[in-house]
Amino acid sequence: MTETREAAPVVAPGHDYASATAAISDVVLRRKPPRAWFVTFGLGFLGVLVLFYTMGVLVLKGVGIWGVNIPVGWGFDIINFVWWIGIGHAGTLISAILLLLRQEWRTSINRFAEAMTLFAVACAAMFPIFHLGRPWVFYWMLPYPSSTGMWPQFRSPLIWDVFAVSTYFTVSLLFWYVGLVPDLATMRDRVKNKLAKVLYGIGALGWRGAASHWERYETAYLLLAGLSTPLVVSVHSVVSLDFAVAQLPGWHSTMFPPYFVAGAIYSGFAMVLTLLIPLRKLYGMGDFITMRHMDNMAKVMLATGLIVAYGYGLEAFTAWYSPSDFEQTLQRTRMHGPYAPFYWSLILCNVLVPQLLWFRRFRSRLAVLWVISLVVNVGMWLERFVIVVTSLHRDFLPSSWGMYTPTIFDISFLLGTIGLFLACLFLFIRVLPMISIFEVRTLVSPNKERGKGT
Amino acid sequence: MPGDPIRRELARLRRPALAAAVIGLAACAAGFFLDRQLLLRSYLLAFLFWTGLSLGSLGLLMVQHLSGGRWGFAIQRPLEAAAKVLPLCALLFLPILLGQAEIYEWAHEDVVAGDPVLELRVGRYLNTPFFVARAVLYFLVWCGLALLLAGKSRARDEGAASAVKWLKGVSGPGLVLLGLSITFASIDWSMSTEPHWFSTMYGLHYMAGYGLSALLLMVLVMARLRHWEPASRVAQPPLFHDLGTLSFALTMVWAYFSFSQYLIVWSGNLPEETPWYARRAQGGWEALAAALLLLHFVVPFFLLLSRRLKRSAVVLARVALCLLALRVLDLYWVLAPAFHPAGPSPHWLDLATLLGLGGLWLLVFYRNLGAAPLLAREDPRAAQLESQAHPA
Repeated sequence: MTETREAAPVVAPGHDYASATAAISDVVLRRKPPRAWFVTFGLGFLGVLVLFYTMGVLVLKGVGIWGVNIPVGWGFDIINFVWWIGIGHAGTLISAILLLLRQEWRTSINRFAEAMTLFAVACAAMFPIFHLGRPWVFYWMLPYPSSTGMWPQFRSPLIWDVFAVSTYFTVSLLFWYVGLVPDLATMRDRVKNKLAKVLYGIGALGWRGAASHWERYETAYLLLAGLSTPLVVSVHSVVSLDFAVAQLPGWHSTMFPPYFVAGAIYSGFAMVLTLLIPLRKLYGMGDFITMRHMDNMAKVMLATGLIVAYGYGLEAFTAWYSPSDFEQTLQRTRMHGPYAPFYWSLILCNVLVPQLLWFRRFRSRLAVLWVISLVVNVGMWLERFVIVVTSLHRDFLPSSWGMYTPTIFDISFLLGTIGLFLACLFLFIRVLPMISIFEVRTLVSPNKERGKGT
Repeated sequence: MPGDPIRRELARLRRPALAAAVIGLAACAAGFFLDRQLLLRSYLLAFLFWTGLSLGSLGLLMVQHLSGGRWGFAIQRPLEAAAKVLPLCALLFLPILLGQAEIYEWAHEDVVAGDPVLELRVGRYLNTPFFVARAVLYFLVWCGLALLLAGKSRARDEGAASAVKWLKGVSGPGLVLLGLSITFASIDWSMSTEPHWFSTMYGLHYMAGYGLSALLLMVLVMARLRHWEPASRVAQPPLFHDLGTLSFALTMVWAYFSFSQYLIVWSGNLPEETPWYARRAQGGWEALAAALLLLHFVVPFFLLLSRRLKRSAVVLARVALCLLALRVLDLYWVLAPAFHPAGPSPHWLDLATLLGLGGLWLLVFYRNLGAAPLLAREDPRAAQLESQAHPA
């Protein structure tokens, strides 16, 4: 693909209010979905069916259908939970932190990334809930005055997870919805179908674009951005504490919170690229999602990838510098034990391959960038596998060592959530504008006053 | 330029710095004969603080080359000036190199012998030859980066078109090198005062602290010079707002790193790890911890949220000065309990070393600051500034 690279604009030249509005909203309102939409949505829907089947068997038979055992009591469920939660970090980062940093380029990708966040968090939440064994009593994790006298263990980060994830989901949803309101009004005004007009109208909350509306909107959006920012950091910090508060070598490391947060952003941006590169082409959104976006996202990936690599390096140094036999053995097991191929694939995927992103030559080739983003997605999954499984399978007592092999139900649960994610995402693209129309309008506006934030 | 007001202001600032250097170093000389061990241990703290200002500046300098933004353009030259003090810091490291045995217990063979942890660590890492070699390497990297970046930035002033690309190209790998070297330097120079203890967060904690210190210094410099051309062109409320917001962010990052480390050590409750905090939670050290929690986190959190405060150069500079003092206190709390486990025992030598090294550091900093035009020319951001004649 030969596209300009030198300081590519955030929006391609030649657009005005009307053309930008039409280009984005017509995807939903006028144009027929491309065939690829039906194919991908169909695949996603198939995945959802697989997910329902797996859940059904799981509820009937219990978690015994999974590969988890003693000593590896956490398997795919936790790996996938952390993987999905990590993916869900790009959205809020892009919308909140980049807004506060006045990075204008975020405007055309924030809506999509936020939607992706919501669906990823929803996928993530399924794993711990179904790992409970009796998912229908999940509310026991909440501190409510129950007649059973059950009270959560507040010293456990697993309980903090409940609060962290549910808060994150709620605030992300609000943030996404508040950002949608002006666009829902645009959709309401442009749609021809009566029923759709009513539905968009309900969503638009009576938005008329009055100056007072905009003023309140700006304040609310900025406040929500401020509220979301600590949440971006806190959620994955709490997830990292699930591991770090334990005494297990490979889990107990003080660096875990920032290291996990960097990994989450890494995988989140990788997923955004994985999805946006084909979608941009499919819907001809190259005018709004330009090479500038691709380049910036690739750079964020490189930076966070380097932090993650710093983490791996420091872990190895710690083991080498540690007088503890257990620490040293763990690192040796990771590098040479039965799961060594996973460790070395992880290094390949997360550390070596992304170094290509240093070079603009590779960042400006979408095909290369897309492959790298896929590789990072795989790498981040492998990272969680290595952390969870290699640390557990050989702990302090050699007599209790064991191996972990996932079953077909582990795999179908993972594939099912991927299907759910895709299906939700493609429904979103079908019914809502995937790019924030009114924010793009501020970018093409002759006097760019709004959209800067403070 | 004769009569350049910025030069005159820098000349005015040089006098107290010279006085501090003379008085401080004279007191250090007295301390050398009184109690060499106490002197060197105080010296280490002062060295880590002032070198940290240079290292933090070097880091911010590379960050702004990569990220752009008007705040980076405005403080680029002061950052370069601070980074270019690093050769002096290398010189100031010599007493620590020569006085290792007075500071670090791992430098004593009799202490190491029979202690399995120390035997392993000294055998692998904490031995004098390797310690010296690493220090040489760190300073080579730091001085090299500082001089190269500052030199290229001047070359850009002269119109060297390749310099713009070059500055960006070096800053990325430079940040990687800086991060790694600060991590290992913090392990070598600071963490090894308690050689049984280890924490993977340590290097990050130092990086956040150093970045914050450098940023606070920049607030002070810009506030001081804001009345005079050409600083007055950039030192406007929006700049202080940006610097204040960044200080807020780094203060939170520092708190996040500090608390994460504490929480994980507390939860693990392992005998190898808790002594570090146990030592810092008794004999009066806990009062310092509480003060840090309150003054280095809670108070600045609320102060720096205020938009009005951040846009006022005078008020923000006052807050920055207090926070800079708290940066010293944080270093003191991290470092000194290793030497005084019974409780804080402040000594006039602590002050003397801080003054003496600080005077020297500032003298070189002011000289560097006067040696280059305060605003970089040929920076793409310079043109933007010209186009908006009256910044909001």
